[in-house]
Amino acid sequence: MSELSKLTDEKVVEFTRTKDKEAYAEIIKRFQDKLMRYAKYLLNDDEKAADVVQESFIKAYVNLNNFNSKKKFSSWIYRIVHNQAINLIHKYKKEIPLLDNIDFDSGVDIEKDYAKTEITKMVKECLKDMPLLYKEPLSLYYLEDKSYNEVSDILRLPVGTVGTRIKRAKILLKKICLKKTN
Amino acid sequence: MSKKNKLDFEKNIISQIKTGKIEMKPKWYFIAGSLILFFGLVGLSMGAIFLVNLSIFLIRRNGPLMPWKLQTILSTFPWWIPVVALFGIISAIWLLKKYDFSYKKNFLLLIAAFVISILLAGFLLDKFGLNEVLLKGRMRRFYQNIELQQKKEGSVKSVNQQNRQLNKK
Repeated sequence: MSELSKLTDEKVVEFTRTKDKEAYAEIIKRFQDKLMRYAKYLLNDDEKAADVVQESFIKAYVNLNNFNSKKKFSSWIYRIVHNQAINLIHKYKKEIPLLDNIDFDSGVDIEKDYAKTEITKMVKECLKDMPLLYKEPLSLYYLEDKSYNEVSDILRLPVGTVGTRIKRAKILLKKICLKKTN
Repeated sequence: MSKKNKLDFEKNIISQIKTGKIEMKPKWYFIAGSLILFFGLVGLSMGAIFLVNLSIFLIRRNGPLMPWKLQTILSTFPWWIPVVALFGIISAIWLLKKYDFSYKKNFLLLIAAFVISILLAGFLLDKFGLNEVLLKGRMRRFYQNIELQQKKEGSVKSVNQQNRQLNKK
């Protein structure tokens, strides 16, 4: 098992598929905290998040032969968690409205006013109040440290759309955070 | 997250794997799925191209579209052909969405390019005389049936029109 910890995620998956099924424990170890955190951002509920992550690990294992090891495993498993979480949200119909009527004033550039670390701090504090549409890319980009391409793969959106959503999310974030502090 | 939860994930899932409660789906299952997806997409596209080509052929066979002729064509045209073609295109787009490249590119542009390609391919097939070849070949009966149906509907409609005119008088 100690040898496994030196391998990349994709190689551990290959090892699990071809040699030792129990090597999947290494995948669980590597991703459980990150996936729990992401599921909690989306669901705002520890128990539901744990259920989603457990279901996602099982689903990922069952479909492990469908994973293309030339791609990033982390994007693949985040995608599964994302789908499971969205299904649960739809099931309980607790989705936060998309707030289409919000004025995304293009003159506001939050990055001019704040550094990335400050935005990350703001995201942590105000994410709960964000609509799901913007919560997803924002949490992946700032809190999970994913690149635009990875966010695009997880959410199955064009990279340009990811950029637009993050930009709008930052404007909304500033408004929500200001409201909170006032 | 508590340490208990961390251990639970690993313990729960690995014990289910050990006891065979959860099993990996075999590789062939996913290969079969990909093949069905691919051939489904190709089949639907080819079907849609053929039906578009057939629609163009039927319009062309009726000669230039004078206003009075257009009305006759519209009333006798076998509408199931373009409707099935449209259904084929919509289904093919739905399958196209399953591919990874669909979200990396502008999907609306992709749909537009796909629809234009189908229409263009249908037009070119008709232009290069596929229908004439099929009409003389194995699909003769199919073409004759469509034309016969069109003529029947046309004659029924003209008889009805004559009756209406007589009733008015």
